[in-house]
Amino acid sequence: MTLSVQSVWLIPALPLLAAAIGALTPRGGRKLAAGCAIAAMSVAFVLSCLALNGALVNPAQHAVFNFVWFDLGHRTVDLGLLLDPLTALMLVMVTFVGTLIFIFSLGYMKEDANFTRFFCFLSLFAAAMLGLLVANSLLLLFVCWELVGLASYLLIGFWFHKPSAAAAAKKAFITTRIGDLGFLLGMLWLYNSTQTLLFYDGGHGCLETGVLAGLTGSTVAGGLALSTAIGLLIFCGAVGKSGQFPLHVWLPDAMEGPTPVSALIHAATMVAAGVFLIARVYPLMAADQLLEHVPVHALTVVAFIGAITALLGAVIAVAQNDIKRILAFSTVSQLGYMMLALGVGAPAAAIFHLLTHAFFKALLFLGAGSVIHAAHHEQDIRRLGGLRLRMRVTFAAFTAGMLALAGFPFVFSGFWSKEGILHAAHEWDVSQLPLYMGLTAVVLTAFYMTRLMAEVFFGHGRSHEAEHAHENPAVMTVPLVLLAICAVVLGFLGTPAWPWLQSVLTGKAIEPHSIFEGGGLMLLSIILVGAGLGLGWAVYGRRLRQKAEAADPLQTAMPGVFAALADRLGFDEFYAATVFRLNAYAAALADFLDRRVWGGLVSFLGSLGEFAGLVNRSVDEDGLNGGFDSFSEGVRGTGQRYSRLQTGEVHGYLRTLAIGFVVLVLIVVLGGVR
Amino acid sequence: MNPPDYAGLARALLPEAALVLGALLVLGLDLLFFRKHSRESRLRSAVAIGALAVVAAIGLNLRVGDAGSVFGGVLVLDPLAVAARVGVLLLTLLTFGVATGTAPLRHPAEYIAIILFATVGFTLMAAAQQLLLVFLALELASLSLYVLVGFDHARPESAEAALKYFLFGGMSAAFLLFGFSLLYGLTGSIDLPAIGAVLAKHDPQPLLLVALTMVLVAFGFKAAAAPFHLWAPDAYQGAPTPSAALLASGSKLAGLTLFVRLLWPGLGSVAGHINPKYISPGWLPVVVLLAVASLLVGNFAALAQTNIRRLLAYSAIAHAGVMLVGVMIAGSAGFAPLFYYAATYGISTVGAFGVIAVLEGRGGCQRITDLAGLHRRSPLLAGCLLVFVLSLAGIPPLAGFFGKFYIFADALSIGGATGEIGGATGPVGRVAVLAILLSAVAFYYYLAVLKQALVAPPAEGAAPVRVPLAAALTLVVAAVLLVLLGLFPTVLINGF
Repeated sequence: MTLSVQSVWLIPALPLLAAAIGALTPRGGRKLAAGCAIAAMSVAFVLSCLALNGALVNPAQHAVFNFVWFDLGHRTVDLGLLLDPLTALMLVMVTFVGTLIFIFSLGYMKEDANFTRFFCFLSLFAAAMLGLLVANSLLLLFVCWELVGLASYLLIGFWFHKPSAAAAAKKAFITTRIGDLGFLLGMLWLYNSTQTLLFYDGGHGCLETGVLAGLTGSTVAGGLALSTAIGLLIFCGAVGKSGQFPLHVWLPDAMEGPTPVSALIHAATMVAAGVFLIARVYPLMAADQLLEHVPVHALTVVAFIGAITALLGAVIAVAQNDIKRILAFSTVSQLGYMMLALGVGAPAAAIFHLLTHAFFKALLFLGAGSVIHAAHHEQDIRRLGGLRLRMRVTFAAFTAGMLALAGFPFVFSGFWSKEGILHAAHEWDVSQLPLYMGLTAVVLTAFYMTRLMAEVFFGHGRSHEAEHAHENPAVMTVPLVLLAICAVVLGFLGTPAWPWLQSVLTGKAIEPHSIFEGGGLMLLSIILVGAGLGLGWAVYGRRLRQKAEAADPLQTAMPGVFAALADRLGFDEFYAATVFRLNAYAAALADFLDRRVWGGLVSFLGSLGEFAGLVNRSVDEDGLNGGFDSFSEGVRGTGQRYSRLQTGEVHGYLRTLAIGFVVLVLIVVLGGVR
Repeated sequence: MNPPDYAGLARALLPEAALVLGALLVLGLDLLFFRKHSRESRLRSAVAIGALAVVAAIGLNLRVGDAGSVFGGVLVLDPLAVAARVGVLLLTLLTFGVATGTAPLRHPAEYIAIILFATVGFTLMAAAQQLLLVFLALELASLSLYVLVGFDHARPESAEAALKYFLFGGMSAAFLLFGFSLLYGLTGSIDLPAIGAVLAKHDPQPLLLVALTMVLVAFGFKAAAAPFHLWAPDAYQGAPTPSAALLASGSKLAGLTLFVRLLWPGLGSVAGHINPKYISPGWLPVVVLLAVASLLVGNFAALAQTNIRRLLAYSAIAHAGVMLVGVMIAGSAGFAPLFYYAATYGISTVGAFGVIAVLEGRGGCQRITDLAGLHRRSPLLAGCLLVFVLSLAGIPPLAGFFGKFYIFADALSIGGATGEIGGATGPVGRVAVLAILLSAVAFYYYLAVLKQALVAPPAEGAAPVRVPLAAALTLVVAAVLLVLLGLFPTVLINGF
């Protein structure tokens, strides 16, 4: 059984319907709203599996279904649906992880008064995300892109009564909007140059050879190829959405939202949309690779931004104390890896890592949610501790996720996908610098995750909440276990010995290699992972924290560096000092112009109008109205005078009848004589 | 000459037969079984039987349908006749609803039976094509109406109104009969097609003009057009409310159908010219004079009224002026606009009288100020009254607006039968412009009614009004009809 591309719209439509039902459900209808949301998501998962089944028949084919949205002069704006292995795999991942997180939310949000609203927003997000995946048009993709942004805003600010949540929601929305501005410009430019925004359109789509040749053929300012310029503008959108340097600042703050939201939107799906976007328009991004005399290739920028982000996120994560913020920075770092893979020309590796990361990061976030829920919303790792014994299932699942994230060799999925990226970086002939940055980040990732584990799960509870935490009900632990299984199993879809995923994504059969091909690099990275784990255990595991107030061992060793890292290298302060201040000046100037200059002009015109009104009123009231009043009185008087003629006397009536007849006859006859 | 087609005649008269049978049933059953019952239950059973008879007549009429000329041209069942019969019957049905809202009179069954007889007169008027039948139908309707107007023994005004109406009606009937006899003398026929054929061959003689004017006097009486309108305010004021409603709706629609058939297909060749440069004698100039006089008298006199029924009477005179415009253009624009106007006017005026009837049964409703605070006393009545009065005033999207719109649009755009009466500068067009200007005057007195009903506070101690179910249903149906016909005017307009 397969799902054809014509019916693929059903997949986003179902959660949309659930969102509509949720929006119309009163607060009391918790079961209805949640039931609809979970049912819609589960059916969407089944349909996605059918779609994947159909897409795997011929992986190289891009099945499309295009239709005209509206006519614009003599041009048309087309929208379309697309079904290929990339879309189908993403659909399966999003609906599967989404279903589990929806179920987890049942337990996590149980006490929240706005339970129905939460599920309405979650379904809206899912609908937009799935719509983004099936779009065969940059425009449709952009529309859904903005909708996921909206859903993210609504969900980060779900507890909007907390000022920090409201501020974080605003920050996330505005920061990603900056990137989206570039995306929008790129899209308009693309439409202007190619007359189409469809990806695949039987040879006329903007990702197909004929159109791309036109884009690489012309150059813009600075000798850049047109495709490079458009690609980099679109990449701006991905930078914003996927939390890449320098627009990564919103993602850690987005952790103010409920933890299931962090798991679904800010770890597994939405933030990966930027990676998906670049993978989707990869032919456009890579179109300039053949050109030799250009200042820069689009993918080179992507690779370096990714490498910088991967290292930056890992470095900052070392010194964070909030369990969700550590995971948020690790997300930033992992998204950097994916961008790096795209940049070095290995989109299949990027998507592989995207998929494995989605599972193990969702697992880690849900595990963190489980801890937070059990510890009554205590998120500071210094105040947790000793949960290993009190929350066995969560501990086991979280450990699986942590090892996958750290890239523990052979068994865990993160290892294989990260290896793929490092190998691709190694083979990149432009520069080896990204590889070294990536390898450094490997050590750091293992290090900070060990720190997290040691602080949260080992030792003894360092606060009242941590001491009284107990395991959560099955509605929360079962999704954890399922995700933990996936975090292990999924890696075997893309090992060098059986590169199924890579061959599906590229549409070409890839020869299996020996597992140990390129063994040098693999050995190096295994050693680095081991070093990170060992170092972390040496620093945090051997001498476990005794009191919540005690200083971090790193803090005592290198107070300056630790403070800078804890302060997230001052990006927020830097932006506050530059962009915000500039914005504030501009706003003050605009305010001055508005109040004094334009406002003054307007009030002058206003008083002029008022004067005219006064003149008008006197003319109206005394002249026209008076005249009209007296005329109306005259009209009424006519009626009064007439009704005096109606005497009620029958003789008079009959006399009038006769006279009327005579007069009429005279008029008719005499009129004829003339 | 063909043998008389009695079967066809019987078939064509099936609706009338149903009505007569219904009337006899009402009388007989009441006499046999209901004498001892209360007036209310006698009225209810009579209305139930009468309504069944009317519904049966509507069904039969639609089944007989567009049968053409019947019994050698005595009757004609063209689309106009079918539509007018349905319209008249529907208005009678609404009048029954109004009757259920009032306090019953002394002989409720007889009252309903006479309404049915009057309706027989109306349906015959709608289809008559021979002068003799025209006169008979008219007289059947008129005699029934005289009785209906004077039916309220308890009130002297009712008797006074009936006497005035009867004297006026009798005299105009005399004029009509005199006119008909002259027409017969001049043409040697009483069949309208034959009369038309003879008249078309000769120039009009002075005697023909006298005959035409006599016919128009009767028309003016029937349509309540000035200066033959004097009976109307007194009759509307004195008559029992359902009688007044029937007088203003069914009677008017039937009369218009009869006279427009008489004037255009029958006497169309002597319509005459009313080009400003050249007036040739005929009936058209007379109708123009009647229309102008009605518009002026109706609208201005309504301003001075304090009695709600007299106000509706003058509003009826003003509407008659517009209908006369419709008669003038019927020769070229067809009957559809006129029919639409008369039918929707009938519905709204029956509705307005229905509201008055309900109030009358519960504390009286004579002066406009008696409506004060109706929105508090009965939101349903106030809402329905709003629809009826706004439709009378011609506010879109209600049917009253489109009635006026179609007549005025045709009067201002088309050339008329003689090619020169319409248009913005033609005489009919100028009458239309006058009518449009006077609509502004009309707003004043219509809004004065609504102001009392919807804005003014209720009088001290005014109790909430309980509306009987049947009356409430009638009013709601009438209001919904006005809205629907306004939203989909083509249903009626394209019916021809």
